[in-house]
Amino acid sequence: MDNREKLRDLLTDVLLLADEEFSLDLKREDVETWDSLAVVAIAAGVEETFGYHFTPEEAVAATGVRDIIATLERKGISFEGA
Amino acid sequence: MKAHEQRGRRWGLAHLRAADLGRVWLHASPSVRARVAAELELPLLDSLEALPSAADTVVVAGGGAFIDRAKRFRQGARPGLRLIAIPTIWGSGAEVSPIAVLNGEGGKEIHVGEDLIPDHYVAWPELARSVPPARLRHACGDVWAHALEAFTSPLATDTIRRNAAELIDEMAAFELGYDPRWFEAGAAACLLQARSSVGLVHGFAHVLEAPLAAAQPSAGWGHARLCSTFLLPVLAFNRNRSPKVETLAAEYGLDVSRVELLAHALFDAADYGAAMPLAAERWGDIARDRCSRTNCNVVRRDSLEFFQRFSPSPVTA
Repeated sequence: MDNREKLRDLLTDVLLLADEEFSLDLKREDVETWDSLAVVAIAAGVEETFGYHFTPEEAVAATGVRDIIATLERKGISFEGA
Repeated sequence: MKAHEQRGRRWGLAHLRAADLGRVWLHASPSVRARVAAELELPLLDSLEALPSAADTVVVAGGGAFIDRAKRFRQGARPGLRLIAIPTIWGSGAEVSPIAVLNGEGGKEIHVGEDLIPDHYVAWPELARSVPPARLRHACGDVWAHALEAFTSPLATDTIRRNAAELIDEMAAFELGYDPRWFEAGAAACLLQARSSVGLVHGFAHVLEAPLAAAQPSAGWGHARLCSTFLLPVLAFNRNRSPKVETLAAEYGLDVSRVELLAHALFDAADYGAAMPLAAERWGDIARDRCSRTNCNVVRRDSLEFFQRFSPSPVTA
């Protein structure tokens, strides 16, 4: 499983989405379940899945899937092709 | 000083007797009603709704759910009323907590607010002596779940983790049964989780409590028993999913194997076997529960498999 698939699985679980509801362009404002608890759960899940601990600022600033990917890529975690 | 800053202070029975409470009534759970009424010599209420409008104070003696109902009643219907809580068992921390958990039509309703904290709580540990040993043991599991889930919470600060680690270390020396020290430990654990979060143990308990109690009314299912039942499996799940528990324990000087031994002692395989079919049926609700969503590891759709296969490893120490 590549990193894109790992992130998709994490976010569909945390945000309670069906697989077909997921896209790389998903934004927090588009998803009702992307609330403050989801921000915490995403941060916990990113650490669990990718071994990177989001700072509170990074967790709050990630307002979409592409923001999460950008933060992780800056830490050397590749999402090539995403 | 604002009114809410004075709330949640501990009193002894002597304080309660000496205090000027104005026009005061007593509301007590059936198990302690006669004893508390005789000791305090206060007029008894059959229900909170029957509280006269002239009342200045209500003294409420009972378990966590009983106190939570009074907290919510005061918040919703009588904001100016002084509320004094006498917990008859430890575990919920309802006597100090800004949270009230009520059984609503759609499941557990969680209310949060500083105005939910009772003005005072009264330490009267002798009341717990009349509680059956199994319930006392389950109440210990409730305290353990609060302390451990606060410690591992993704929302916990360094101070909360340090305080939780110290509390856990202290609690490890307590008997899993009657010990007055559980009251203070329970109140402390409750405050720690209220300032961070609880996790999946509480997700299981909140979703399963009402349907299990309805399906098996004489079996005595309740929140504390479910916390005791799921403490060990959830600890195992969290340790299996990531090194987070081990890393935090090492950082704060906590002996995880000692905690695991206690969780083993609280675990009842028959209760776990009885609760798991419903847990499987309601897994979607458990994973979505707001407590599960602040578990230290993410609770996923496929996490159920871990719990279905869970079998406690033999105790080696």
